[in-house]
Amino acid sequence: MRTFCFRKSSRVLVILSAAAAIMQIGILTFVPDAALAHGERNQEPFLRMRTAHFYDVKWSTNEIPVNGEIVVTGKFRLFPIWPVNLPLPEAAFLGNGTPGPVLARTESYINGVPAIQSTKLELNRDYEFKTVLKGRVPGHHHVHPMINVMGAGPLLGPGNWLTVTGNESDFKLPIKTLSGETIDNLETWGLGRVFFWHGLWVAIAIVWLVWWLRRPLLLPRFRALTEKGGDRSQLVTSTDRLFGAGLLVATILIVFFGFQATDAAYPRTVPLQGSRATVEPLPEVPEQVKVVVNKSNYDVPGRSLRMNVTLTNNGSTPAQLGEFLTSNQRFINHEVSQAMATVDPSYPKELLPPNGLKVSDSRPLKPGETKTVDIEAADAAWETERLSSLINDPDNTLGGLLFFYDEHGKRTISNVSGPMVPVFTDPDNRTAENPKGGAG
Amino acid sequence: MTITMTHNAKSAAEHRIQPLANFKLAAGVTLAVLALMVFWRIFQQVYAWSAGLDSTEPAFDAAWMTLLKVELSVIPLLWVVTWAYLWFTRDRNLGALKPREELRRYFNLVLFIFVYAFCVWFATSFFAEQDASWHQVVVRDTSFTPSHIVLFYGTMPLYVLFGVGSFLYAMTRLPKFATQISIPFGLAVVGPFLILPNLGYNEWGHAFFLMEEVFSYPLHWGFVVMGWSVLALGGLLIQIAMHMLEVIGRLSKEDEVSVATQR
Amino acid sequence: MQGGTSVRLYGLEWPKESARISRVFDLLVAAILFLAVSGAFHLHYMLTAGDWDMWIDWKDRQWWVTLTPIMAITFPAALQYVFWTKFRLPIAATFAVVCLLFGQWINRYFGFHLWSYFPMSEVIPALLIPGALVLDVALLLTGNFLFTAMSGAFAFALLFYPTNWFWLAPYRLPVEVMGQLVSVGDYISYAFTRTALPEYIRLIERGTLRTFGGHSAIIASFFSAFVSILMYLAWWHIGMLLARVVTTPNTLKNFMGLTDKDEPAETAQKAIDGTSLQGRFVAAE
Repeated sequence: MRTFCFRKSSRVLVILSAAAAIMQIGILTFVPDAALAHGERNQEPFLRMRTAHFYDVKWSTNEIPVNGEIVVTGKFRLFPIWPVNLPLPEAAFLGNGTPGPVLARTESYINGVPAIQSTKLELNRDYEFKTVLKGRVPGHHHVHPMINVMGAGPLLGPGNWLTVTGNESDFKLPIKTLSGETIDNLETWGLGRVFFWHGLWVAIAIVWLVWWLRRPLLLPRFRALTEKGGDRSQLVTSTDRLFGAGLLVATILIVFFGFQATDAAYPRTVPLQGSRATVEPLPEVPEQVKVVVNKSNYDVPGRSLRMNVTLTNNGSTPAQLGEFLTSNQRFINHEVSQAMATVDPSYPKELLPPNGLKVSDSRPLKPGETKTVDIEAADAAWETERLSSLINDPDNTLGGLLFFYDEHGKRTISNVSGPMVPVFTDPDNRTAENPKGGAG
Repeated sequence: MTITMTHNAKSAAEHRIQPLANFKLAAGVTLAVLALMVFWRIFQQVYAWSAGLDSTEPAFDAAWMTLLKVELSVIPLLWVVTWAYLWFTRDRNLGALKPREELRRYFNLVLFIFVYAFCVWFATSFFAEQDASWHQVVVRDTSFTPSHIVLFYGTMPLYVLFGVGSFLYAMTRLPKFATQISIPFGLAVVGPFLILPNLGYNEWGHAFFLMEEVFSYPLHWGFVVMGWSVLALGGLLIQIAMHMLEVIGRLSKEDEVSVATQR
Repeated sequence: MQGGTSVRLYGLEWPKESARISRVFDLLVAAILFLAVSGAFHLHYMLTAGDWDMWIDWKDRQWWVTLTPIMAITFPAALQYVFWTKFRLPIAATFAVVCLLFGQWINRYFGFHLWSYFPMSEVIPALLIPGALVLDVALLLTGNFLFTAMSGAFAFALLFYPTNWFWLAPYRLPVEVMGQLVSVGDYISYAFTRTALPEYIRLIERGTLRTFGGHSAIIASFFSAFVSILMYLAWWHIGMLLARVVTTPNTLKNFMGLTDKDEPAETAQKAIDGTSLQGRFVAAE
């Protein structure tokens, strides 16, 4: 099979690139230099707070050459207080939160089950995922895990930056078929045959069109049909009919024998595969700490979320509140060393609000103990990540996960959810622009 | 025979002074439109990836919203200027129109419609299907995507310029279009124009219930129906063909009279 | 007008200059029609059957085979009305699908490949030309829209699957990926991700109760052929409707400064070329 690679050899691209370069120089001076995430920040906060919560996400590397591999692993929980306006995850797919096909996905699994097909997922259950991606288009790409839920759209996990180096023209995705063919590169597989057949039929069509177009066309033919004296037999002659009949026979013969020849060349083919995978969730772990939200406010000028919660430890070991996870933002309680230990130094900084989580009483909650505490997640991230727009949502119930740790670092996860009341003013004259308050 | 030849030579000389139609202007405008289309496409190639993936970023504002603002201010200005020019320079003495000038105006009209079709092709074929490819790359987070800013707020207002312009040209310069409004012409201009207001339905659907980009969903069928109206160009073609045959008939008679008079 | 200054075209005399002018008109209108049909037909097709046409893993044996001819016979049928009844040209269907294919290939390359990085092997358009040729020849030979519908439109749909199998077969070879059986086409689209188009969204054959020995494509083709006949008949008439020369009096006429003396003699009463209905719609076929 001849191989074609458009982007490698295209003169059009050269011209486009040259013009693009000129435009870059000309206009980029006005455009701040920024690498972009892709759209997750403008998703409604309820979508990000109450659907899929990703945690323990790891990226095996942050730089690969073209054809190099990156493995993204982690877990996600589908939040039980699922927004009422979204369909349940009856059909879901482990997506690939990259800007399109800049990376090629070679493998993906949910709980060890191949995720090439969609599957049904359950609320309030946890799943483990793994995606293997191969560098294809050089550049600086934001790589997220993602779950697509039918009717709800893409639900993105945390994103990390990945640099792909090298030449795109070196990319190859080979595979061997079960019928014995070796495919060097799926990007170009089969194109020779495509061009041959498309070209052949276009050529035949052009012959047919030119056969008619070469004669005086519109006004003379129209006049011949509408005026007395027009000779209709010259409009369509017996030669035309003969030529047409010949073309008809030739077309049918080419299709018939072409089909036979194709079938002979590829005797073993399969239809598109559209079954659904069956994925069992991870074993259910009972919620050790029961969380009840008594009151929650979002302080608009202070850019902080404050919750008054009652915690009850139903487990047999003490539990310390170490982390509040919502919308891929990890608010870590700096007073809990076990929680701090879970933070990988290479974890994206923009997903770790520096102020972390403030808890009015961080002492371990003893087994059987019930305690009411104030927790505060204050950070500019509420604005920059546009989570504060929760106050504009018709459904302003917040949601997230609370991570509790025992003294050995063993973690249990509790869901937290409750209505959120915004606070627009405060006595210290703080504003969103001037969160410290005062005259400033 | 000699007289006829003389007449033909004279006629040819007249043609040199007054060509069949304003081909130069049409070619110039077509090239300008082509240049604009190439600009838009290159702009997409450069800024869609570097500044068009996240609408909350300042870079998006600087590149894409700037382009949008320029489009939304310049193109409507072109509407006003072009349409006003066509209107105010209308022929107020259509009764005195000579067949040769009328034929020339018919050809100008056909050239105007050619530029319209040229823009329509870029909008409804080139940039429209590209839309399907780009929206597979991003997590769509705004109505103003790099694809939509060019497709809906660039190429479509541009074809409206030429669609309405050609209609006005016919209405203000050709007697038969001045006295009787052509319904197929109206359809061929209004239908594609209505794609723009129909965008409201599209964005409404994508905002409230359709998160995934499937092109064949009923949400998009409004565009389809508007697109059908382009078929009314068939009716317009028949109408122009009838008019032109009539004008050519008058032209031949006039020439014969002229030849006879000279003889 | 004597011998050297006029020509006979289809039995009628044309002054040479007029014949030359008519050829210029031919070329301009051909260019307009190419652009307009390519644009409008492409828009119609991409928004009714486009997803199947765009992606290699949507080209299934059920919906792709059923829907594509039904949605694609529309413009050919409407244009056949105009081209055949007004100009006796049996090329409308071929012309329409060539226009469509032109728009698609331009787009798959510049849009899907150069801009959005999809490999060409993922985004090949379907071929409709053989069916369109047969549709045109059917009209040429029968000269009648009903017989064309029964034979040509039927063949238009029946030929669709075998025509495309020529190039599609290599994408239906079986491969094993992660211990699963999939086709090459499935794997191409899995590998070169569409961020906003997850697997479940594909409207493809998901296994049927009875596939009659695996003949899904044949069954789908026959059903499509039946509906294509009906579509052809409907769209022939849509073509008829939209090709009508209908006018209405210009109510702005006086405002424009025109008076009755400005009206061409034959339009004042007879309007374009038909019968006047006292200022109401004036129609002429």
